[in-house]
Amino acid sequence: MLEVTDLEVRYGAIRAVRGISFSVSSGELVTLLGANGAGKSSTLRCIAGALKSAGGSIRLDGENVTSAKPEIMVRKGVATVPETRDVFPDLTVDENLRLGSYTRRADRSGVNADRERMFELFPRLAERLSQPAGTLSGGEQQMLVIARAMMSRPKVLLLDEPSLGLAPVIVDQIFELIAKLKQTGVTILLVEQNVTEALAVADRAYVMRLGKVAAAGTAAEISAATDIDALYLGG
Amino acid sequence: MTFAIQFLINVLSLGGAYALMALGLVIVYGILRLVNFAYGELIMVTGYTLFLISGSALPWFVMAAAAVAMAVVTGIATDYIAFRPVRAKSVTAVLITSFAFSTLLQNAALLFISPRPRVIPLPEIFSRTVEIGGAITPMRNLLTIAAAVILLALFAFLMRRTVLGIAMRAAATNFTMARMLGVPANLIISSAFAISGFIAGVVGLLWMGRIGTVVPGIGLEPLLVAFIATIIGGMRSLTGAVIGGFVLAFIDTSLNYTLPQELLKFRDAFTFSLVILILLWRPEGLMRGPATGQRT
Amino acid sequence: MKRNLLTFFILGGLILLAVVASQVVGIRLYDRVATNLCISLTLVLGLQVFMGNSGILSFAHIGFMGIGAYASALLTIPTMMKGMALPDLYPFLKDVQLSPYIAIAVSGLVAALVAAIVSYPLMRLSDAAAVITSFALLVVLHTVMTHWSALTNGPRTLFGVPKATDVKLAALVALLALVTALAFKESRTGKLLRASRDDERAAAAVGARIPQLRWRAFILAALFTGIGGALWGHFITSFSPRAFYLKETFLILSMLVIGGANTVTGAVIGTFIVTAAYESLRGIEGLLNEAKVSSQPVIGLTEIVLALAMMAILVLRPGGLFPTREIGALLARRFGRPEKSG
Repeated sequence: MLEVTDLEVRYGAIRAVRGISFSVSSGELVTLLGANGAGKSSTLRCIAGALKSAGGSIRLDGENVTSAKPEIMVRKGVATVPETRDVFPDLTVDENLRLGSYTRRADRSGVNADRERMFELFPRLAERLSQPAGTLSGGEQQMLVIARAMMSRPKVLLLDEPSLGLAPVIVDQIFELIAKLKQTGVTILLVEQNVTEALAVADRAYVMRLGKVAAAGTAAEISAATDIDALYLGG
Repeated sequence: MTFAIQFLINVLSLGGAYALMALGLVIVYGILRLVNFAYGELIMVTGYTLFLISGSALPWFVMAAAAVAMAVVTGIATDYIAFRPVRAKSVTAVLITSFAFSTLLQNAALLFISPRPRVIPLPEIFSRTVEIGGAITPMRNLLTIAAAVILLALFAFLMRRTVLGIAMRAAATNFTMARMLGVPANLIISSAFAISGFIAGVVGLLWMGRIGTVVPGIGLEPLLVAFIATIIGGMRSLTGAVIGGFVLAFIDTSLNYTLPQELLKFRDAFTFSLVILILLWRPEGLMRGPATGQRT
Repeated sequence: MKRNLLTFFILGGLILLAVVASQVVGIRLYDRVATNLCISLTLVLGLQVFMGNSGILSFAHIGFMGIGAYASALLTIPTMMKGMALPDLYPFLKDVQLSPYIAIAVSGLVAALVAAIVSYPLMRLSDAAAVITSFALLVVLHTVMTHWSALTNGPRTLFGVPKATDVKLAALVALLALVTALAFKESRTGKLLRASRDDERAAAAVGARIPQLRWRAFILAALFTGIGGALWGHFITSFSPRAFYLKETFLILSMLVIGGANTVTGAVIGTFIVTAAYESLRGIEGLLNEAKVSSQPVIGLTEIVLALAMMAILVLRPGGLFPTREIGALLARRFGRPEKSG
């Protein structure tokens, strides 16, 4: 489904991602693990089209989508939940969700059905529909961003550190949700620092260090690997 | 009482015009964080279009619509000519290109039309006066109030109820995120310039209706008014821009009645000093706009 | 250091060459053009000191040119003419009559003083706020000049300013401005300011007090702009506040932007190119008017061409013709031994 080959990302002279390759098959949940600054988020943002790649290629269903604009990537079926939990704070929850279905706004009945589905998954959002998104709690905002991304009915969902800065109880809820989303058949690429939780829901995992892939395998293999701490700490 | 009515009508009609001028500027600024120095020329274009087609036998309303359409086209052209090619390079570059584009349009009017004022056709209603509660007031003041009310309502509907409007508000807070939801950047920006042109066109008709002529430099005063109102209202808040317009109109009208003739000449200096003071106190303007922001 | 000297000699040589050539030809028109060129150089170098080093676009500078011109006029118009030229002048100024050379220097100081007072609080601002305030400042200065009839004769033309500027004086001042601009760029203030231009936060983090640095640059810029204005006043001898507004701002800005605002070389070369273009285009306009190609006077053609050139430059070469390196450094790199950057 998603195939990344020798991808490079630069910020000026700094090489944040130094030629990484990985793939995500249809219906799979793959997690990219790694410490701060390993290049995980840059990789994700590059796939989403928010950053230009400096080399390598990104393929979606065999089609080359390297350096496509972000608005094009959504149309091709890639939805993004950014790390910064970007709700539009002045827009209501309802308006945020409406924008989520921007690319398929002509399909009214489909959009409405999806909204109902999202309200089942996230009952809190239904309660706060006309409230500005900025007034939601951190966990609710994260749910809104995920729901908003799902409203475009994506083939691939890119999740960037969905547990960042949330209370442990909420983190558990979020990961339960991710597991539920996986059951709906959507392909997920999950960037995380929370190794245990991520490996619990993932099929496969890649460990990134200093912009490169340092280890790859099934979630079970990576969990079992004794040197995971060493990879993190840079040993 | 008569005086109060007179004062109120003056403030509301001047405020309506100012509010629209500010709104047209801030709609672009809110999304791009860039000031369009060629904004006043949209009003100039409206005037000259009306002048150039005044010989035709078309009804005034059709000519006015054509003039406003021309302002919309010029607005969109401003984006393609002055903004888009340099937008990614630097903020300063865009400010200079839009300033250059403004000079270009003004001098084109000088060269191809004339430095002297040109009379624009106006319907008879513009020169009529009515009496309200003892106050005699020109009909065009009431027209301005009506146009402002209608346009502001229309604008509010567009921004609150349509997907395009919601997307524009979203883009004003976080452009990249809006794009990651599939909102095309170019559509949003072109729409902002088109709306800016539309508002400038309509307000231009009303503004030039006061004097009945158009000159190449006609856009400067509306640009300055828009600057002041925008800054009073908070540079990125649409509601703020409208409030800023009315506040400025209130200040201007009050100064007109209270300042001695000697000092009245310096009115612009006073209001602009006020702008500088406000910016010093709050660099983002008096009213807070949307929480975060970034440029493309 | 060597490179800066090289830059100075090349650019200074260019200025001298232009002046000498204009005298050798012996046509009055060229004398006027050369004098205007030198005055423009002073104004553009002044603007470069602020804009080039701080990276902030300023619309206000031409206002300080006006202050310089009016200040010098007030100090030099002969006592007997003052009654006519400025009927409402304050009594304490009525009997003042200085030598134009002293007056020009004093006018620069007056402009710098006004700039120092007005701009001190403004220097904290960046981005759009800074640009809008500088625009607002230009409007305020213009309004004051247009309506303070006692000092400026209001919107009407002020006559009777003694003619004192010739090409030699203008060239001398332009050379002074050149040295100062180069020296300021390499001074500690200049270097820190340029660092803040490239990364405001990083420069603040190493302890640079950016508003303070910008303020110094602004004052220096106003000093030269004021002197430039005074020189112009004593050259043209009669003027009105309209001379110090958007049209002149556009012209000076186009010189700096086309040449490259970040370098002194850019400021000088831009002034040469735009002056040449301006004079030729004005000539063409004149010819067209004489030939009566249309029933109306041909005006605005010059500005249209300059505006197009400015936009083209910003699109194709955003930093101008000399975006980063001075001419001396460029030549040294090309021909000489590599030297440590300076």
